[in-house]
Amino acid sequence: MKESARLEIGHTTLVSALGRGLKQTLATLRGDRSGLQSYTAVGGLVCDVGRVSGVADVRVPGELSRYACRNNNLAMLALETDGFAEAVRRLMQKVGAERIGVVVGTSTSGIAATEAAYRDPNFGITGTIAPDFPYRETHNVFSSADFTLRYLGLKGPAFVISTACSSSAKAFGTATRLIRSGLCRAVVVGGVDSLCDTTLYGFQSLGLLSGTRTRPFSAGRDGISIGEAAGFTILAEPGVLEGAGMVLAGIGDSADAYHMTAPHPEGLGAWEAMAGALAAAHYDPSDLDYIHLHGTGTAHNDAAEDLAIQKLGCHETPVSSTKGATGHTLGAAGICAVAITELAMGAGFIPGTINTEARDPALQSALVLAGRRGRVRRALVNTFGFGGSNCCLVLEARS
Amino acid sequence: MSCFVAGLGVLAPGLSGRSNALRVLRGDDAYGSQGGCVPQFTGLAANEARRCPTTARYALDVGQQALEEAAWEAARVATIFSSGSGDLEILDKNCRALIQTPIALSPTLFHNSVHNAVAGYWGIAMGSRASTTSLSVFDDSFAGGLLEALMMASLGTPALLVAYDIPAPPALALVRPIKEPFAVALALCLERPAGACTRIDWAWEPRSTEGSVVDLPGLETLRTTNPAARSLPLLQAIARLQATRIVLPYLAHGQLRLDVCPVSAVTPADHRP
Repeated sequence: MKESARLEIGHTTLVSALGRGLKQTLATLRGDRSGLQSYTAVGGLVCDVGRVSGVADVRVPGELSRYACRNNNLAMLALETDGFAEAVRRLMQKVGAERIGVVVGTSTSGIAATEAAYRDPNFGITGTIAPDFPYRETHNVFSSADFTLRYLGLKGPAFVISTACSSSAKAFGTATRLIRSGLCRAVVVGGVDSLCDTTLYGFQSLGLLSGTRTRPFSAGRDGISIGEAAGFTILAEPGVLEGAGMVLAGIGDSADAYHMTAPHPEGLGAWEAMAGALAAAHYDPSDLDYIHLHGTGTAHNDAAEDLAIQKLGCHETPVSSTKGATGHTLGAAGICAVAITELAMGAGFIPGTINTEARDPALQSALVLAGRRGRVRRALVNTFGFGGSNCCLVLEARS
Repeated sequence: MSCFVAGLGVLAPGLSGRSNALRVLRGDDAYGSQGGCVPQFTGLAANEARRCPTTARYALDVGQQALEEAAWEAARVATIFSSGSGDLEILDKNCRALIQTPIALSPTLFHNSVHNAVAGYWGIAMGSRASTTSLSVFDDSFAGGLLEALMMASLGTPALLVAYDIPAPPALALVRPIKEPFAVALALCLERPAGACTRIDWAWEPRSTEGSVVDLPGLETLRTTNPAARSLPLLQAIARLQATRIVLPYLAHGQLRLDVCPVSAVTPADHRP
């Protein structure tokens, strides 16, 4: 494989509040509908979230029973949707289980299992989590990749990337290196994050949780709505996948070096990641047909992202945020954006900024409010996370 | 593939900094973990230094040691942070806050709880907007971080790996029995550094052996009880300046094979056309 050959992406699957699988996801986006609904957390916090139905009913296989938890159940739902697990099985026969890696992005993994263990009356008595608690299999941050690897029966290298809300975008960087180094011919790349009290109450404590429902890029935006999602795709050297939909044309990542939670006020780190991704793809900003915004719906994040897009020179490029539809799926935000962008390319449809009625007049980007027809061949996906962790992907439709 | 170790840093009770750790690993100094250790670092403003969690303190200490030895400009170095369990002290505090009524999580503890909080503090302390990632492979997190760093360096981007794990508080000690802190940093690059250094020829392959151990009893115990301390066989090979094959297990099915070879300083003879 030539070092410059662009890696292909295919067999994508997504389960989120938009629906189970790509078909439902596209139908919901075409209807400009939101998957957010009111939710009451343990402890009484009421807010809108993007919740996936049926997660508690998932039964993981017996030999993986210690892995059962909301996060891995959600991962399994996605693995069994859109024919993903079957596509991996076919690929294993073709290239060998040893030559397929797994890189999964997650921010909190199965932390909800540990939250529940602290709530258990036994914890009040003993003050310790019992030794039979499946910490490694549920809560530990690597659990998401461990479960995915075991469920699919793969034998290549595995990683969890955990860089907050850029996790599953950065996962594409590690996956690219696994292929460029010759270790893997294909890599299962994904993102999984599920609802838990830590993020709900944590974002509330920072004043970043919307009191109503997130409205990205609107004048009255008041914070995020949290969502849960699991998505997977296969990144592979050219010619390995049957029917790859896209190529990964470039990746750019950067750190803000500014603040743990607030973005750089001029969007400097975001701009560097976007410019880096375009440079890696050998694109000019004017080559882009669409930018899938990070667009979280907080006052500062959206303002910084808007400034970065203007600094990049994408004044006319259509942009939209789908977080009013999915909620902010944190570590899964990258894979959600990749899946939605692949749908946009396939359907000739630019998703709208669902739940936002009008663009904040202080922002400059060409925000798409209602979904509309539009040709998308080359797109940029933005993700920015806590700790000033930025990662942008350039995707191109495969001709 | 191959790359060079341009710098390293170590901090653990009984291994207080690079020079001391290398002497202990060579067997020149005795190992004794009594007395603990206190991470030293620079670059954070007072209020950020105050909020900086234990994991980030260790990471800053060893990362700065390695950069100093490599004489690299911190702001331009790509970084990889790897930890088996992140900051268990913060996890414990957050989980306890979630069982109080009413629930009031500390905003600082919440943002410090993300796995990449350490990377965030590093970027702020070093003024670095360079590429960075944070990862985990549970008990094999050192091998995972090293693999990412080896790939990055061997593909041409100098990379700083920082791996760390800290002890579990009592509530989590039975499910995650890490008893001693350990942090290690390696600065890796494709181009041969001018000074004496170590070359690593590496490969990822299906598992065929149990993996390398340390032949110093106290340190062998440490190796098996802290994911970051699984670096010790590699560190010992580097310290002893002998060509050595090290095998680091990578999950049940894989391993990282490292052929470690000392390289002397570049002399004028090396520049012959």
